[in-house]
Amino acid sequence: MGQVSAEKLTRIGLYAAYTVIIVFFLFPLFWVLSMSLKSVPQLFETPPVWFPFPPQFSNYTYVLTNTPIVRYLFNSALIVLLTVFFALLVATLAAYGFSRFTFRYKKPSLMAVLVFQMISPVVISIPLYRLFANFHLLNNYASVILVYVAVVLPFITWFLKGYFDTIPYQVDEAAIVDGATRWQVLVRILLPICAPGIATAAILASVLSWSQFVIPFILLDNRTMFPVSVGLVNLQSNSDTITTHYLSAASIIAIAPVIAVFVLLQRYIVSALTSGAIKG
Amino acid sequence: MTVKAKPSRRSWTEVVTGSPLLWLLPLVVILVATFVYPIIEIIRLSFTDAGLTGSDYSYTLGSYRRLLGSPYFFDMLKATVIFVAVSVVFQMFLGFLIALVVDQGARRGMRASVVTRTAVLSAWAIPGVIIGIIWGILYQESAGGVLNYLVGLTGFGSIPFLSDPAAALASVTFANIWRGTAFSMILVYAGIQTLPADVLEAARVDGASAFQRLTRIVLPLLAPILLINLVIVSIDTFNTFDMVLALTGGGPGRSTEVVALSIYNQIFQQFHLGQGAATAVLLLLINTVMTIIYLRLDREEVA
Repeated sequence: MGQVSAEKLTRIGLYAAYTVIIVFFLFPLFWVLSMSLKSVPQLFETPPVWFPFPPQFSNYTYVLTNTPIVRYLFNSALIVLLTVFFALLVATLAAYGFSRFTFRYKKPSLMAVLVFQMISPVVISIPLYRLFANFHLLNNYASVILVYVAVVLPFITWFLKGYFDTIPYQVDEAAIVDGATRWQVLVRILLPICAPGIATAAILASVLSWSQFVIPFILLDNRTMFPVSVGLVNLQSNSDTITTHYLSAASIIAIAPVIAVFVLLQRYIVSALTSGAIKG
Repeated sequence: MTVKAKPSRRSWTEVVTGSPLLWLLPLVVILVATFVYPIIEIIRLSFTDAGLTGSDYSYTLGSYRRLLGSPYFFDMLKATVIFVAVSVVFQMFLGFLIALVVDQGARRGMRASVVTRTAVLSAWAIPGVIIGIIWGILYQESAGGVLNYLVGLTGFGSIPFLSDPAAALASVTFANIWRGTAFSMILVYAGIQTLPADVLEAARVDGASAFQRLTRIVLPLLAPILLINLVIVSIDTFNTFDMVLALTGGGPGRSTEVVALSIYNQIFQQFHLGQGAATAVLLLLINTVMTIIYLRLDREEVA
């Protein structure tokens, strides 16, 4: 009996803790969503209007038609897609190399790859700005995407290498002894087995690249090429043309894709983050 | 089996000892071009009087002399250290608590634990600049500023969240804790899953209280993960740029100009490339030292 009520108390305590945590983490998002649906007088009311009625969906129409946000979203999607494609390509090859070969300095090489993860993108962006300026590569998606790829590569390579390591060598061995080339082993055997891992790597690379700010901020100054992160800062700094309810609506539009991906795929994201974290 | 001519059977050892060079080459080329070259270049630039573009310059120690002689330098260091230290301590502490609470619920099959985990993680997934914009809206000091309204309910006067230098640094740090807690939570949560269930159960049967199990068993076992967590979170916080840029731009004055933002402002706002490069070398040194610590820890954990 005492056991049961202690368990009940624990559950009540847990629910209380969850309520506090959820309110703390979701309140800012709730508030911005609320702001995005207000009329101008409601913005300044005290006490604040929590649930604006009727919700002003026209704020969203205004933002979608009067700011380049659709363009920014499209640019982000394009950059993210290309980044994920090339990052996966390069990382898969490298992960295969690290997983399936034994060679001298293998451990230090793996460590070296990880070290780049720790370098601030601000530090590398400045020499790259000078270099790209000299070769007229500023405002060029090819050069910008190369840097995006480089920034996500260390993590994705480590993650995929870890995934390949879980597949026993005997699988490759059997195929190679039968005359398959390494390339055939990778494409026909390993990739299909590793599809879940590759999907997870793709999700992580997408979230990381969607959030990327420093690189496009420094290497792009043509407004029509901005991804949504840089575009929003640009909108914010022109605050005479965009007021709080419009800025809120723009923020909601910009984070909606990430939140949707996150809520739908969080199981995979959590497992990827934790496996990466535990291994280093 | 196969009818076509079979290549001579190779032994497995022969195959593994082959060269991985071709497989690794694309990775190496990209990393050298976008990391190794810029790192060498930024160190070189810090010893020159070069401008942002153009190629006329000479070598000098002037950038470092001016940087160290600048009254802003120590303000920047102070702001950075406060921002990083307070962020890291609270992120780790909150992340640890939330991980424990979420784990307890998950073990009881409570769906609310998944909702909680998702709520915390969504804060982490939002791009940093948008976090800056969102908190800028929350911190508004004019009518409509919701945090000041809530503070007013408790009987305090209004707080100059972003217009007072000290308050602004606290506000930026608070928003950063909101953003970064998720990462610590996930690491600790993963660590808890690896704890030996039988040991904890044995301790419980032997009458150890929940608090004793936490301090005597859970914490010591999690120590390596907590240390790695500490280093990664510190590096991330030292490198923070986007959130602060969108929230305060480094102001008021330069009170929230943390090191990464200071590099950007010196180079792209004040056009002091050499001085900005010297600051970048400082950040690079911080990154390097932290990474060495990280690799040491990692090796010890593996061993």
